[in-house]
Amino acid sequence: MPVLRFDAVSKTYAGPHNALSDISFSVNAGEMLFVTGHSGAGKSTLLKLIHLSERATRGTVLVNDKNLAKVRGRQVALHRRQVGVVHQDHHLLMDRSVFDNVALPLLIEGMPSKEIGKRVRVTLEKVSLASKEKTRPSELSSGEQQRVGIARALIAQPLLLLADEPTGNLDPSLAAEIMVLLASLSAQGSSVIIASHDLALVKRMRKRVLVLSQGKLMDDIAPEELAP
Amino acid sequence: MSTATATRSNNNGFGARLSAWRDQHIYSFLSSLGRIVSKPFSTFLIVGVMAIAMAMPLALALVLHNVQRVSGTVQAAREMSVFLKPGVTLEQANSLARKLADRADVQKVAVVSPDEGLAEFRKLSNLAQSIDLLGNNPLPSVLKIRPKDDGLALAEALQKWPEADVVQHDGQWRQRLNAWLSLGERMLKILSVLFGVGVLLVVGNTVRLDIGSRREEIAVMQQLGATDGFIRRPFLYLGFWYGLAAGALALGLSLFAGLALDERLQPLLTSYDSRFVLQGPDLTMVVGLLATSAILGWLGAWLASGHHLRQTRPTDL
Repeated sequence: MPVLRFDAVSKTYAGPHNALSDISFSVNAGEMLFVTGHSGAGKSTLLKLIHLSERATRGTVLVNDKNLAKVRGRQVALHRRQVGVVHQDHHLLMDRSVFDNVALPLLIEGMPSKEIGKRVRVTLEKVSLASKEKTRPSELSSGEQQRVGIARALIAQPLLLLADEPTGNLDPSLAAEIMVLLASLSAQGSSVIIASHDLALVKRMRKRVLVLSQGKLMDDIAPEELAP
Repeated sequence: MSTATATRSNNNGFGARLSAWRDQHIYSFLSSLGRIVSKPFSTFLIVGVMAIAMAMPLALALVLHNVQRVSGTVQAAREMSVFLKPGVTLEQANSLARKLADRADVQKVAVVSPDEGLAEFRKLSNLAQSIDLLGNNPLPSVLKIRPKDDGLALAEALQKWPEADVVQHDGQWRQRLNAWLSLGERMLKILSVLFGVGVLLVVGNTVRLDIGSRREEIAVMQQLGATDGFIRRPFLYLGFWYGLAAGALALGLSLFAGLALDERLQPLLTSYDSRFVLQGPDLTMVVGLLATSAILGWLGAWLASGHHLRQTRPTDL
């Protein structure tokens, strides 16, 4: 059963500017896929519609069969707890420790502090940052900061994880490391959608690829169709 | 069901939610205190402005309270005293009192016998020994009357009684005093509202600035699924602390002002042989002021954070 479905979705910004036109696709539970295309192709807008940072102008976006057009008020916050987000520029709280940054989604969700402590330590182990839990993000390298961002996104074991150019600032070996982390999350049951214009990385991962161009879905490539 | 969904549903018991609610409040409580402590000078300035704004109506309330005491209670001022002629016996005085009690405009009447009058005189004055030298009690019987209305008509009627020597009724003085006290109370209400709004604006503006400096943090929290309540809570605590601290400082300022005044007031009162003691705020006033100031701080923060949350919704993923 698909976790996410886009049915003839369009998004028009004031101007008017058609960021997305008549997009349809679905994503299954535990699936990992890439959304690729040039700058302005509509990758970020597509992720924003899933995260409810923007709303579709036409068409239907369904997450777990729930129509996002009907999600309002407090329900928006509850929806976002099911959707982890990883940004290129991390969006970490620089005046808090690594532990506090990673713990934040669980604190927001209302998990007791004892449980939070356990889960944060396990998650930091997964991203090889166990020794840095008391460190401030500003004292970490860019790669480490990105791993903190990923740890924060995956600690609540989201239904969907959205990553917007997660390897944009990283060297190839660090980028590969981040991809392995995201793939492990997908293996645990979360669906992972990665927006990236790094075609080499996309090809190397051999996952499903949605190709966007000028807001239109030009291609939906299955992993087996990708040349080795 | 995915692992993600399964893990989420483990966290729904009432005990777990209560514990989480408590943890979230502890988090907000500590983070708001931490923010205050981390900026001591800025906190001092904000709390100082708020405290001065609150100290003004508080000082007026204390002045009114003490003026009411120094002039006697309003109830006492309503009473009139009829000093009977020296030849009127105690039995005749009691008979007059019964007659008075039947009148529709009299609420209460009491007879003060010459002996009771003398005992009271001894207690209140330093002339007891001089009176003893007279050998007999020169004081007349007195009727203490509490009228139901302003007592002006009653006083006029009593003055015509053949047994009445002097009718003491400070009706006009009481009316004037009541008018002044009423004016003072009205001024107190107006000042309380004005300065209360001032406190609200100070807290609101402070919290607005604090929100401005934490705009990115709030955006991150919203993206992670924080509700408005979660985001607002540390600011509400912050407003609460500001209000409570300002209330406490306002009390301290008023006590300090009271002590400074009392130092000069006591020699003056002693020269009038007065036993008046300047009174500070009582427990009800202290609790009322602290509660009001804390609520005003909380309300100011609620308004400012609510405005921000309505105005800014995250647009960046």
